[in-house]
Amino acid sequence: MIPYAFASLAHVQILLLPVGQIPRATFDAYAAEIRTFESIRLGDIPGDAKDERARFMPSPLSSGYLHLSFPSHPTLPAHSPLSLFRPSHFNLGIIGIAVCSSSHPSSSALEQFGNTLADIYPEHSTFPLAKTCFAFQDDDEPNVGLGENPPSLAIIPNAMGNKRLYIGTLLADLCSQILGEFGHLVHTLETPLGNEYLNGTLFPTLPAAAEMPFALDSSSFPTHSTQSELVVSHLSTPVSNGVTRSSPGLGILHGSNAVLQRHSSLGPSTVKKRVTAVGTTSSHARLFKLYGDFFLLAGRPQDARIWYQEALNSFKTGMDPVWQASAMEGLAVISVLDSWAAGQGLASISDTKDPWMEINEQLSQAVAIYLKASVPSDAVQDYSLLAFVYTSAVLRQTSLLFCVWSSKGWGPFAFASMLQPGATSYWQKVISDNSWVNLERLSAITGITRSQIANTVSQAHGPWLLHLGLPERLVVLRSMANIYSCMGYRRKEAYVLREVISCIMDLVVCGRDEDYQLRRSDVGSAGLAVRTAGLQNGDDITPTGNGSLAFRPNEKMQGNQSVLRVLTYACRALGVDVESVNVAAPPNAEEDNTDPDIIPFEAMSLAESLNSSFGWPELQVGVMREAIAVAEALPDPLAVARFALSALKAMHSILPANDQSHLYQTASRALAMIRRRGDASMIEYWAGHPIQSIAVLPLPLHRIPAEKPRSLLATSSSTPHAISIVPGSTNDLFLYNPRKSVNTQSKTIIVQNELAELVITLRNPFVFDLELHNVSLITSGVEVECRTISSIMIPANSIHVVTVSATAKKPGVLTIKGCIVHAFNGAPKRFFLPVSTEAEEEHQSRRHSMMLCESGRTKYSGLDAWPWDKGGKHFTHSLLPSKLKTRFLECVVVPEQPLLRLRWTSLTHAAVMLYNGEKSTIRLTLENVSALPIDFLTLSFEDSTIAPAQEALAEGQLDVFETYETEYDLIHQRAFSWNRDKDIKVIDPGQKIVVSVACFGKAKCTGATVRVSYAHARRNDESGATPEIFYTRQLTYPMTVTVYHMLECHNMNVVPLDAFSDIGDDALQRDSDPHEWCLFSIEVRNTYGLPFEVTFDRTQQADAPDATTRSIVPPGSTSRILLPIRRFRLSDDVISRRTPILSDRQFVVSKSSLTDAEDKIQRELFWYREELLHIIHARWKEANGSRHGDLSLRQQCMKMHMLNALKTDLTRIDVSLAQRCPEEPAVILSGGTFIVASNTVVSMVAKITNTGPSPLAMMLDVSTSPEEHVLLQGSLTDIALGRVESGQSRIVEVPLCFLSVGYFEIAVEARQLGVAGEKRRTGVARLWARVKEDDSLRTTSSDLE
Amino acid sequence: MSHHLFILSPSDTPIYSLTHYSNKPAQTTSYPLSSNLPSWSTSAFAGTLTALSGASSATQSHHVQGGGARMGGGQDRHVIQMIANASLDVIEDVMRKESAMYLKSVDRFNEWTVSAFITPGNTKFILLHESKNEEGIRGFLHEVWEVYLKAMLNPFQTAHTIIRSSVFDGRVRTSAKKYL
Repeated sequence: MIPYAFASLAHVQILLLPVGQIPRATFDAYAAEIRTFESIRLGDIPGDAKDERARFMPSPLSSGYLHLSFPSHPTLPAHSPLSLFRPSHFNLGIIGIAVCSSSHPSSSALEQFGNTLADIYPEHSTFPLAKTCFAFQDDDEPNVGLGENPPSLAIIPNAMGNKRLYIGTLLADLCSQILGEFGHLVHTLETPLGNEYLNGTLFPTLPAAAEMPFALDSSSFPTHSTQSELVVSHLSTPVSNGVTRSSPGLGILHGSNAVLQRHSSLGPSTVKKRVTAVGTTSSHARLFKLYGDFFLLAGRPQDARIWYQEALNSFKTGMDPVWQASAMEGLAVISVLDSWAAGQGLASISDTKDPWMEINEQLSQAVAIYLKASVPSDAVQDYSLLAFVYTSAVLRQTSLLFCVWSSKGWGPFAFASMLQPGATSYWQKVISDNSWVNLERLSAITGITRSQIANTVSQAHGPWLLHLGLPERLVVLRSMANIYSCMGYRRKEAYVLREVISCIMDLVVCGRDEDYQLRRSDVGSAGLAVRTAGLQNGDDITPTGNGSLAFRPNEKMQGNQSVLRVLTYACRALGVDVESVNVAAPPNAEEDNTDPDIIPFEAMSLAESLNSSFGWPELQVGVMREAIAVAEALPDPLAVARFALSALKAMHSILPANDQSHLYQTASRALAMIRRRGDASMIEYWAGHPIQSIAVLPLPLHRIPAEKPRSLLATSSSTPHAISIVPGSTNDLFLYNPRKSVNTQSKTIIVQNELAELVITLRNPFVFDLELHNVSLITSGVEVECRTISSIMIPANSIHVVTVSATAKKPGVLTIKGCIVHAFNGAPKRFFLPVSTEAEEEHQSRRHSMMLCESGRTKYSGLDAWPWDKGGKHFTHSLLPSKLKTRFLECVVVPEQPLLRLRWTSLTHAAVMLYNGEKSTIRLTLENVSALPIDFLTLSFEDSTIAPAQEALAEGQLDVFETYETEYDLIHQRAFSWNRDKDIKVIDPGQKIVVSVACFGKAKCTGATVRVSYAHARRNDESGATPEIFYTRQLTYPMTVTVYHMLECHNMNVVPLDAFSDIGDDALQRDSDPHEWCLFSIEVRNTYGLPFEVTFDRTQQADAPDATTRSIVPPGSTSRILLPIRRFRLSDDVISRRTPILSDRQFVVSKSSLTDAEDKIQRELFWYREELLHIIHARWKEANGSRHGDLSLRQQCMKMHMLNALKTDLTRIDVSLAQRCPEEPAVILSGGTFIVASNTVVSMVAKITNTGPSPLAMMLDVSTSPEEHVLLQGSLTDIALGRVESGQSRIVEVPLCFLSVGYFEIAVEARQLGVAGEKRRTGVARLWARVKEDDSLRTTSSDLE
Repeated sequence: MSHHLFILSPSDTPIYSLTHYSNKPAQTTSYPLSSNLPSWSTSAFAGTLTALSGASSATQSHHVQGGGARMGGGQDRHVIQMIANASLDVIEDVMRKESAMYLKSVDRFNEWTVSAFITPGNTKFILLHESKNEEGIRGFLHEVWEVYLKAMLNPFQTAHTIIRSSVFDGRVRTSAKKYL
């Protein structure tokens, strides 16, 4: 069925019917040829008919046209009641198209033609009025007799040159027959009985000829002569006026007065006669209208206009609104035909402003009348037909407006499109460019707005659509959709398309319940409707009904596909992309090489985030449900799955939970059905971007291979393990190495042939549990054996973590690019997960902010805001794709590594308990449990004291001395160390070895770790080249350490020997030279619960024998230890050295704010202390046990007075008192004290010896105390000694006299000239004198004597 | 007689909707053609068609003589939304040519007449009504605009956010009672 032509009332419909076994293509070709005859000149039609048949015949010279249309479908039988109301609706003629050849004689074609006709039309139907069969000759055989054919068969020989001309002639013949039949029909109706039939019901029909009570031609013209008086007597004046008025016009147009007179006299005369004959029982208005119809069909609009006017005048009473409206429609068509004829005749087009306005008005009236018309009976059929007539009137009016609008105004093009809508391409043109500007231009030119057309066409839409039969309903809805589509009213079109689909689906569903024949015809028309709905789709009409037995009689899918395409189109208008999930492309090999530079992740997330903001959610859900229902009913499981999954993908944010679950189940069911049927097609992956992240699980600590330079191998055998004081500075020369940070960042190390575990984080944004068939990795680089994980169930709305195990087969670099996710019954989809780099993140954040910015604004509204446009159009120009190379997760696969196991230790519960300073040994038994030998083994240790010390060092807040102490502590007093008693070369597979570790009880140590680094370093590489690096593994053994603090040393002191002159120690007595010796003292306190024996050893140069002091310190008490030390002097070279830095730290800038002199003193103190600690060695031992250890003195500090006591003076000063003269009382030396008589002059003799290496210029100071009781001669200070060479002595004698008895102390100090401060003192000596009375002294001396 | 108001964001998403039943009797002229409809309903699709063509509401009001036919639930609700959505075609077309904010009776579909009000921010108020009440509707829509503007003063309210304010709802209902 072609779209509604405006002028369909003037079209003579001739059905083209394939006859016999004619191939489709041949039929189409011939039919197309016949269809080129859109109109036939009236002059070409043979008008040689007689009697009543001649009534509608054109005169031989008339210049009008007969308009033809060639439908391909017969008129529906249900419409037969309209046969008298609207004859133009029916197939007035039939042309059978047959192919005849020698094998298929034309006679058989004729026979088949007859059979086909009998199938289509009931025996006694009014139409068709004429039929003929065109037999096109297939071959060149000329023997088919042309002459002896029956009149209803025309043979067109193949050899005929101008077939078109011949066909034209044949068509003209056919038309002539039809026109003749018009006359015949009218003749029947003119009879009183005929008129009764005509006025019988709303839509009257003529009974079959045989059932007519009398022969139709019996009383033909008996009252012909009474014509004139009847005109006067019975007809109302307007009618006669109309006739007389129109006569001149007719004459002018037809150019033949004879013809005019014949017709104008014939037509009304008979009617009037009938009126007289029958009386006034029935109005003859319907008959007038019928005349008008037939004249219109016969190409004589002028006559038709007269009769329509006549009819309208009769209908004025409003008794018969439907017929009245129909007559108005006819008048409207005539106006257009007139204009067309004027155009054809190249006459100037009417100047009136908008001639279509009038026609439109007329049609509006007609439409209104139709709408208000009441149906006299409650016959369902009448409702149906009335609705049909009404909707076609609305469509006719719409067509008028639309044609004028689309043809840019009232002109030849508009007429052409109204007459022959198929022939003009204006609709297509409008469709092809329906931008707003273009559509508005049309409105501006024509003055018809689109809303006007829309309002007109919407009149056809209403409840009455239900009255229509399904095929008509389809046609109406389809036409509406077409109009809306052309005007760019997508949403209205979608609305109507939904109805179209409902209609089709109703047919499909109902068709299954009915018998096969009916089903076929219904579905066939449904398919047709889809095909003609403006979508270029399948060319075949496919019966889609499946029957109740669910067998598919026809495997053609076009019908279903077309329905789905319409559905998709309608859904898109509402902003739902039901096909966002596509059918997966068949997997091919090339796909594996897709460039992962394109990251679908971004685009998808972008689209997802924008999706939710468009459209009407409730409608979207509704239309989506409907789409799925349609697909289910078809049934097309693939489409069901696609729609359901698309809905989930695109709208999961607005779908309620139970809907989501339902959709998912529906899709699963459909997919299962597809598989059951053996269909290979699969749905592409749909469930968003499930992969959140991929990470390589770090290896367990004892399996991590660490990269080591090969140079370590060479050094490891000679020197003990590398010592690291400051963390991180072991291997690298620079504190800050920019290259290092780049490399170590994202490299994950896995080991060849060992299981590596990867964690994949999956996300399920849906409210149901998402089931994935399997997930596998996409890798490149070295070969990897990877187990895929199957049957993953991701719980609803959550993040799920799965672990994949992979084994690399070769060393090298392994790149993990992403995952292949395989949903159930779907195609696997590749997801690439690039490592987020800085640039990438910046890019992402820019996109994100842009989206945020955009989401609040609306640059595009309405249909322009479709999300699928948005993603592409609105963003691409502003965001350039990143030029950066995408980086993926990279793993370094290192060669196979051995594995060591700690088999046994000498510790229980890995706990070490030590006294402070105690030394002990623990043993570890290690076993090689791998198949590779271990040829590199080194132990390193870590304890809880190291980290704080290192931290303190790193902070750099310590002064030089503290730094040294801390560093010394780190290096020389390690809590644990490896006793490399026997060098281990190789540990073969399965072999066990024992390593012993020395422990040292160090205060504040609470925990420690033994790290055994091992490697199979010297491997035979097949390439021959030794790599620069090798990998070690580490075995870690943590221990708990408890150190008991029991002995405390404090108050270390060094004093000159004479400070303790009353100490009666033998050893002290022996070495009582204060210049040579000094005394070391320290207090040791036992804070523990057990007694300890403390031993202090002195180990000095050979000239002084070793000395030892022992003491048992009971719990809780303090012992003072005294030990004489031979004084020594360090050379200037030694003491001027800086405090050494034991670590390999760089850029150590001395930050002390000391002056040079202070600094010098500090150094001196430091070096003397070092020497002292070197000399003194303290040990402890359990008093009743065997445990022993060292006692650390390093906490003790050195003071200046201790230094002076310890350091040998530069000069040795021997002071003594001597008698001045013999008669004086003697000076007695007793126990280091001189006993002197008072008031006696004695000499104080000081012998100053330069023991230093260089000559000294010195002065001497003498001081006595108490000063006031001593008489002296000369100056006591600044006694010049002069320059004393090394090893030489000077003697200074000072006479003095003690004035009172008592104890006196005389101090002699030598100082260097020209040296300031503390340094200038080179030596000091003291003497103590006991001054007694002279007598007592004498008695004392006599006693002594 | 019922009225349906939809406030649509520029991306055609409803941010507010109201169904108002007024006490005034419906003055719709029922056409003979829309009466005596066949009451067949062989499949679910026929039901859709019945609803979309407006037949269900027609029969409803036909059977419930004059007594305010309650509509707005179920399938009809969907149809009303479809009509409102489809009328956007005409509204968008007309609003580009006319400067007026109030577009009276801009579209007509089935038994519904659509009036619209376009704010300068391209938010559309769409009112579906059955009878002519031009002045009332104009007054109503202007008042809704005023209330809408007040709601939009909320800094958290964008053109795309659904209006959930009960104050807004109450005021719109009050003015609906007053005008419609």
